[in-house]
Amino acid sequence: MKRSFLTLFALGFFAFLYVPLFVIIGYSFNANPVNMLIWDGFTLDWYRGLLGLGTPGLDAQNRGIYIESTPQLLAALKTSLIVACSTTVISTIFGTSLALALARFQFRAKPLYTGGLMLPIMMPDIVLGIGLLIFFSTIGLRLSILTIVLGQCTFLTSYVCITVQARLAGLDPALEEASADLGANAWTTFRKVTLPQLAPGLVGGALLAFIISMDDLVITYFISGTGSQTLPIYIFGMIRRGVKPEINAIATLIILASMLVAALGLWLRARQDRS
Amino acid sequence: MTHRDRLHLWGLLGPVTLFLGVFFLIPLLTIALYSILTPGLYGGVEWAFYHWNYGRIFGWADGIDEVFEPVYLQILARSLGLALTTVLLCLAICYPVAFWVAWLPQRWRMLFLFLIALPFFASLIVRLYAWLLILKPSGLLNTVLLATGLISEPLDLLYTPSAVVLGMVYIFLPFMFLPLFAAIDTLDAALIEASADLGAKPWQTFLKVIFPMTLPGVVAGSVIVFIPAVGNFIVPDILGGAKGLMTGNLIEQQFLSSRNWPFGSALAMVVMAVVLGALTIFATRAKKAGGAA
Amino acid sequence: MSRSRLLDIRAARRLFTTPEGKSFAALDGVDLAVDEGEFVTLLGPSGCGKTTLLRAIAGFEELDEGVIRLDGADLSGLPPHRRPVNTVFQSYALFPHMSVARNVGYALEVQGAPRAEREAEVAAALEKVGLAGLGTRRPAQLSGGQRQRVALARAIVAKPRLLLLDEPLSALDRNLRQQMQFELKDLQHRLGIAFVFVTHDQEEALTMSDRIVVLRAGKVEQAAPPREIYRHPKTRFVAEFIGETNLLPARVEGISGAQALLSLPGGQSLQAEAAGLEPGRTVTAVLRPTDITLGTGDLAGTLLRADFMGADRHLRVALEGGPEISVIARDTAVLPQPGTRLHLGCDPALVHVMEEPT
Repeated sequence: MKRSFLTLFALGFFAFLYVPLFVIIGYSFNANPVNMLIWDGFTLDWYRGLLGLGTPGLDAQNRGIYIESTPQLLAALKTSLIVACSTTVISTIFGTSLALALARFQFRAKPLYTGGLMLPIMMPDIVLGIGLLIFFSTIGLRLSILTIVLGQCTFLTSYVCITVQARLAGLDPALEEASADLGANAWTTFRKVTLPQLAPGLVGGALLAFIISMDDLVITYFISGTGSQTLPIYIFGMIRRGVKPEINAIATLIILASMLVAALGLWLRARQDRS
Repeated sequence: MTHRDRLHLWGLLGPVTLFLGVFFLIPLLTIALYSILTPGLYGGVEWAFYHWNYGRIFGWADGIDEVFEPVYLQILARSLGLALTTVLLCLAICYPVAFWVAWLPQRWRMLFLFLIALPFFASLIVRLYAWLLILKPSGLLNTVLLATGLISEPLDLLYTPSAVVLGMVYIFLPFMFLPLFAAIDTLDAALIEASADLGAKPWQTFLKVIFPMTLPGVVAGSVIVFIPAVGNFIVPDILGGAKGLMTGNLIEQQFLSSRNWPFGSALAMVVMAVVLGALTIFATRAKKAGGAA
Repeated sequence: MSRSRLLDIRAARRLFTTPEGKSFAALDGVDLAVDEGEFVTLLGPSGCGKTTLLRAIAGFEELDEGVIRLDGADLSGLPPHRRPVNTVFQSYALFPHMSVARNVGYALEVQGAPRAEREAEVAAALEKVGLAGLGTRRPAQLSGGQRQRVALARAIVAKPRLLLLDEPLSALDRNLRQQMQFELKDLQHRLGIAFVFVTHDQEEALTMSDRIVVLRAGKVEQAAPPREIYRHPKTRFVAEFIGETNLLPARVEGISGAQALLSLPGGQSLQAEAAGLEPGRTVTAVLRPTDITLGTGDLAGTLLRADFMGADRHLRVALEGGPEISVIARDTAVLPQPGTRLHLGCDPALVHVMEEPT
């Protein structure tokens, strides 16, 4: 009796999680250009519009109103990808070296690092965002892709480090000793034993960094210049200007793409855990 | 530590320390510095000590250059209340579900954990946008309610404090769920059985055994929901409208429209203080809970 | 016959600092010598320093004082990968991402040995440990006993001068452990490599070793062949750690020829071999429960309890006017009832006398 009530509650929970996403996906196929919340038949026009293809369901005048310029969207996507790829590489290197240093060495400043590691994650985003904004403007660095990358790396490094640390903690320290014992020097041991063992944590950390970077809104909001809008910032701006059917199609594509990447990551991790 | 070890250590630590020192620590210190500087006439700052940024918020002001307005404290209190409501709602929603998932057979558990984590990866802005579509006067919820005859005219759902809470709960749910689940999952079923065996009624078992033992998870989840919630400006911006101004929006305005950076910095320092205070309270609670467990 | 000296450790000291900031000596002036082809066991309770000593030989710990020589050469400052010593780890430490063959061939791989030579050596090593044909498996696909053998094969493939084994059998179940004890001993004979074996299991030590080194709190209590350790423990600690034992406080009353007469508290007396004893000294008599005979003898006592143990029976007896002792006797159909008066005796040759008072 109690159990079935709980199940009902859980089903409601999952409905709460997923219905909003399906609502967007549903609306993205609605042909009604004026009031997109009233169903007016199925269309792919919004997707076609996004991709710069023809929009047979819309006349030329409506097209101008409802489809914003595709190039801007593509530029935002490009900015996001450039930022995400660079921050992933940098924060993975930083995060991994930090994790390795903390796991393999004893040093006096260690508590400072382990405590400080949580700081960028535990701090309200907005504080870091304005801090970076003030800092960049004080040193005279113009807001651009570079400032976004520098700013995001500060907190992404912590995420990567924590992910890699989790993997390191699960490793038998005797593995590296065994390698040294069998005649391998420090570099060979790192290459042949530590790195392959660390790979799942590294991939997991990098993937997490990529996803968070692609999605970051608050911090990037303060440190992206007019010429360097990322995708979330661009969409935020679009929503502020007013709801348009086109946004549904963009949102749907983002939902599908990000879930695909996330699912891939989680699947990879589950597979590696099993082997 | 040998000389060689020291070399390895600083090879690993040096670059990242330098980077975080410059691009993380210094920006933080800059906020603290700006919060006690004089606002310039057209944005910017004058490098002179100035305590009225705080005075404006907390009630001392000269009444000429700076005027104390209680609205800032009201907004601060509202943000705090909003964040706490979000935490409590997330807790109330996640606690039963975490039990439900923990009691599933192993195979199903992974699937449902995956399903809970997945929406977290779908863009934040997109997920908030979905609620905009649902809550609009002509949106899905009103359409459904009108069609079923439950209401006769559309409800004003959007741009209310409730809409903001709803949006916050929606985006922060996974943050609460995962630490809670971790705590509940490690709960030894034998302890619950032992409590029942010793004559405790189910609610007694819950209050005296289950809840205290999951308290670390409760505390951890509450902290990671509270912190981003208290300074959030995106959710009020999209779902809250003009009446729902929160501290986050206030800070954002100081930086991007009013261009009063010192005042914005002072507000940010206050938010940091609130967060630190909350963390301290939670940490002492967690310590007590840890001692009891 | 004197085998040549392989390993020589002098006055080894290693200090650790506890999290509370106190320092304690894991090794406190340890001397240890191992000859070519010898099987030496380091035995002691956890925290006695046996693993630290092993790790110091392997090069994972540097000594604070003292010197470790292998073939006469000082090893200090030499990193683990340049020491001609290999280790079988307690957790086996098999590389999970490599096949069994690559694990076993690792030492040759990092030396840069040609592939053909490597494959031949790996096959030979796997053959030696009875795992021929399992080279393509992953460690995760092996049983505990098989992993143990892989770890062994991996450690011998580079033909080390000395093999270090850190409680390698502790993860195995009882039956498998006994089988592996014999196999290890055989393997050691065939290879002719000296083994230094760490364990806290005294039975294992007695079964396998040429010589046992009993450690306690960073110091060597006694180093001797198993029989000597069992029959003639030098200290109370060794006597109690190795097998079950009765320690009785005694006084040497007199010597007549090869026999000494010991008096026990309560007035009863016991015969022992006289070698090295002086009259009037307070000593400790060591009696193994299995060496005590029931029914005849000079000692009288009252049975307190008798517990069935399979082939044997475990008796607790209160000696008249004195201490309680344990006796292990073959189980017989007739069970004496608690409260029965008994006579007990012990062959004087089996009574060991320690100078240390109880």
